[in-house]
Amino acid sequence: MRRTKHIGIISNDTLQSTGLQSLLVDYFAPVEIGYYTAFDCFTQANVDFDYYFTQAETFILNADFFLPRRTKTVVLSDKLPVPDGCSCRMSGKLLSNGCNIINACSTQEAIIEQLQHIFSAETASANGEKNKELSTREIDVLQLIVQGHTNKDIADRLNISLNTVLSHRKNITSKLGIKTTSGLTFYALMNGLVSSDLIS
Amino acid sequence: MLVYADLPMSEVVEEHPSLIPVINRFGIRLGLGDKTVEEICADYGLDTDFLLAVVNTFLNEEFFPEKKLQTFHTSQIVEYLIKTNQDYFRYQLPNIERHLTSFIHRSTPGNQTLVLIGKFFSTFKDELVARMENDDKEWFPYCLALSEKLKDQKIGINTHPRETAEDALEELLADLKRIMVKHLSGEYDVNLCYAVIFSINSLERDIKQHNRIRYRILAPMVEAMEKIQV
Repeated sequence: MRRTKHIGIISNDTLQSTGLQSLLVDYFAPVEIGYYTAFDCFTQANVDFDYYFTQAETFILNADFFLPRRTKTVVLSDKLPVPDGCSCRMSGKLLSNGCNIINACSTQEAIIEQLQHIFSAETASANGEKNKELSTREIDVLQLIVQGHTNKDIADRLNISLNTVLSHRKNITSKLGIKTTSGLTFYALMNGLVSSDLIS
Repeated sequence: MLVYADLPMSEVVEEHPSLIPVINRFGIRLGLGDKTVEEICADYGLDTDFLLAVVNTFLNEEFFPEKKLQTFHTSQIVEYLIKTNQDYFRYQLPNIERHLTSFIHRSTPGNQTLVLIGKFFSTFKDELVARMENDDKEWFPYCLALSEKLKDQKIGINTHPRETAEDALEELLADLKRIMVKHLSGEYDVNLCYAVIFSINSLERDIKQHNRIRYRILAPMVEAMEKIQV
C-alpha cells in the first residue's frame, strides 16, 4: 500500500490553496491535507507534515523553520516563470538553496509533472532501503509458522526469544505483503520452502 | 458521489453497475424506467432512508454515517446482513468457483501454482461458510430476540470511535488477490485469470461493507441492549 502523504498548506490565497488541494487529491492520493491561512495558525496547531506548501514571503519570514525542511518544502510563486539558469531574484540565496518552487502560472500539466518529481524522490529512497528477499532466519521462522507451530514453540526450537520471533514475523509480512497463515503457506509451497506433506 | 432520494434510480445504477447486487438484495429488479429512488422504494415498500444509507456507504468508502445508521431498527440491519450472506452463498461464491475451476482446468495442466490457489480459496470459503452458519443459528437470532425483548425501551448507544477490527475474511481475500498478482507463475489463461481476480475483488469490497455495518453498527447496538438488560 502506498503511504498517505501528510501535506500542510500555509497560504493566505484561498483560491490558490483550494486549487492545489484538488490537484493533490485528484492525482496524488492518498493524501491528508492541513490548511492554514497564516504561519501563526500553523504553529498553534502544532502538527508535523511530510511536505509543506507555502508562499515565498512566508518562507523567508520563517526561514528558521523552513530552511532545515527545504527538501520537504514547496514554495508557491505567482511570478512569471523565470528563465533557466537564473534563480528567483526576489528570494535570492534562500530559495536557490535546494528547495522546490512551483509557479502558479504554469500549466496544469507542468505543475503535475513538478509535483510528481518532488514526490518520487521520496518514494525512490524509501524503496531503496527495503530488501524484499527473506533472510535465512526469516525462512526458518516461515517454515515453522507454515507447519503450524506457535510463536512460543518457534522461539524454543530456534533458541531465540519470543520477541525476536514476533519481529521476524513482522518483517516477513512486510516483505511479502502477505498477512494470513494460509497466504504464507501458499508462498512457502510455491517457492519450495516446505514440502506439502509437512503441512497438516 | 452521494445518491439522493430524488435522483432517477436508473441513472444511479448506470453510473455504478456495482450497485446491482445491492439493490437486488432489497428485492429491486432492473427495468427501472424513469422512477426516482424514492418512487422505487415506495413501489417495493422499502424505507428510502435505509436504502440510501446502504447505497451511499457502499459507494463511498469514506462515508459512514454511524449515528444515522444506528437509528434504524435492529431487524432492518439484521435483515440486510442476512441478505448479503445469502447473496455470497448463492451467487458470489459459486461465481468465483466457476471462474476458478475453469481457470485451473484451462490453464496448463500440472501448473502447481493454480492448484494451490484453488486450495487457498477453499480455506477462505470454509471460513466464510462457518461464519454464515453461526450468523444464522446463533448471532442473528440472538440480536433479534434481544431487540424484541427490549422493544419499548429507549437505547442510548455509546458511539466511541472503535478500532476497525482486523477481519480474517478480508485479510484472506486481500492475500489471495495479492498472491495472484505478485506470485503467479507458469502458463495460465489470462482472460479467466482476470475473471477470477475481478470476482474476488467484488466480493472483497462487499465483505468490507458488510463488516463495517456488522462491527460498527450492529455490534454496538447489541452491546447497548445487553447493558440495559443487566
